[in-house]
Amino acid sequence: MDLKSWSDEMLEAMIAADRALAAEIVERALAAEVGPRRVIIDILDPAIVRLGLLWEQQTLSLAQNFVASKIAEDTLIRCLPDNSAGQHPKGPVVIGNIEDDFHSLGRRTVGLFLGAAGWDVHDLGNDVPAEQFLETALQINSCLIGASAMMQTTALNIRKLRELIDKHGLTNRIKLAVGGAVFNWRPELVAEVGGDGTARNAVEADALFLRLQAELQKGAMP
Amino acid sequence: MNSYQRVMNTLEGQPVDRLPVFAVLGAYGATLTGVDLRTLFSDAAAYVAGQQALQTEYGFDLVLSAFDYSVIAEAFGGEVAWAENQVPNVKRPAARTAAEALRLPLPDIQTTGRLPMILQVTRQLAASYKNQVPIICALPGPCILPSLLIGLEGWMETALFDVDLAQELLAYSGQFLVDWAKALLDAGADCLVVTEGMATAEIAPRGMFVKQFLPHLQEICDRIPGPKVISSTGGHINQILDVLTDLPGLVGVITGSKDDLAETRSLIGPDLTLVGNLDNLTLPGASADQVYDLSLACLRTAASAGPFILANSGADVPQSTPPANLKAMQAAAATVSAEIGCGL
Repeated sequence: MDLKSWSDEMLEAMIAADRALAAEIVERALAAEVGPRRVIIDILDPAIVRLGLLWEQQTLSLAQNFVASKIAEDTLIRCLPDNSAGQHPKGPVVIGNIEDDFHSLGRRTVGLFLGAAGWDVHDLGNDVPAEQFLETALQINSCLIGASAMMQTTALNIRKLRELIDKHGLTNRIKLAVGGAVFNWRPELVAEVGGDGTARNAVEADALFLRLQAELQKGAMP
Repeated sequence: MNSYQRVMNTLEGQPVDRLPVFAVLGAYGATLTGVDLRTLFSDAAAYVAGQQALQTEYGFDLVLSAFDYSVIAEAFGGEVAWAENQVPNVKRPAARTAAEALRLPLPDIQTTGRLPMILQVTRQLAASYKNQVPIICALPGPCILPSLLIGLEGWMETALFDVDLAQELLAYSGQFLVDWAKALLDAGADCLVVTEGMATAEIAPRGMFVKQFLPHLQEICDRIPGPKVISSTGGHINQILDVLTDLPGLVGVITGSKDDLAETRSLIGPDLTLVGNLDNLTLPGASADQVYDLSLACLRTAASAGPFILANSGADVPQSTPPANLKAMQAAAATVSAEIGCGL
């Protein structure tokens, strides 16, 4: 069986929200002497990318996305060597639900995918004041903040975080990613709250953070 | 013809003098009476005063008991998040896991937390509006209800990975829902709106819903007397409607704001009342002309194909919605009523 076929099977398991089948696929691949690294790079990652495309076409539900994030987590735990635990080559990020927002599922799923993709995720939880986002980012030397909101009323609270970043002269040092259901329904809200970018789903969060990180690095070049 | 007669005739497929119009206005009442939202959603007199002010100012074809599910989460032991500009929300659910939730005592509907306040609101609305304006109460769908007890993430985890435990929690919370629905009907509700988030494409795939949740939804609807309308709370619902039309007591469907109204009608057949489908998030920022045009589009698509009520499709209309936008919905209904010859 070639790697693409394994990945196709993995995608089917994600779409079917079948966590047990995904685990079985990983075990079969490992037993067939596909190395753990190849399982992640050639089986899991392509499945996640294609899952993101399906989400774009609005053919996936929150339940499927949630199971996919669990499958990604399971696969990483199974395949990463013990000594790689704690390695986060892409750098630190701060995420949380903005003040007054208590809808944690989307944020938690984003955290799982970002962690799986190699980010050092600092999840501040629900109802996080703008000041705490910024303080934490400065403490851990993160140039990326992800603020989540589900409702329009709470999404507008992200403006305070934007203002705080700008007021401290950090506009070119810290990028603000925003996300949550309301931004998918009203994309113009990203600009209204001062976001530097958004991802339509948890799967795409890695690409968004990489793009924002690259923009900062490009801006910092002499 | 008063609003009650207009809506009842619509539900029965009988002639009306004009097309009825709903808007989900709870918090909006506070903008008219000047109270803060904490008072509005915890004091029956304040909430009813808001509905009375809305009826006087706009005269929509319903009065609405408080559409605030934090009341239920709180009654089970959860914590409420109060905000200045939105309906109260669940800050912390009562339990962390389904197993823990199953050990919670069922709330006493007549005495626990703000549950009696909602019943009092319903009774007071009935005292003022019975047989004049329909008294509508919203209920969380039985399949999404456990998320109020353990949070959406906890409920997803249980529903997806521990099906037996999920069924236990559904049975446990379902008993509360049946009792609560009956109490609302006893207090004077004319119709119950069941907002079943699990039935939307955004939350659960069709196969999962049909296998794991539909039998429970059918059972609970069967145990709750009175007319019921199923709502998508704004999300897509067309993909599942073909299996919902036979729900016991179902008289109408509130379709999602991004669902195709013509498709919805073809899915539900000619008799059920179709309600919708303006987008809540559009209402605050759009001009009155835009809301009028959007309303016209809904009405012209749906009004001549079967019983139809123009409405927003989500939960509470944002308080920042200009009054002119609410009146534009009614103006559009008047225009199309004339076009299709209502009242002739």
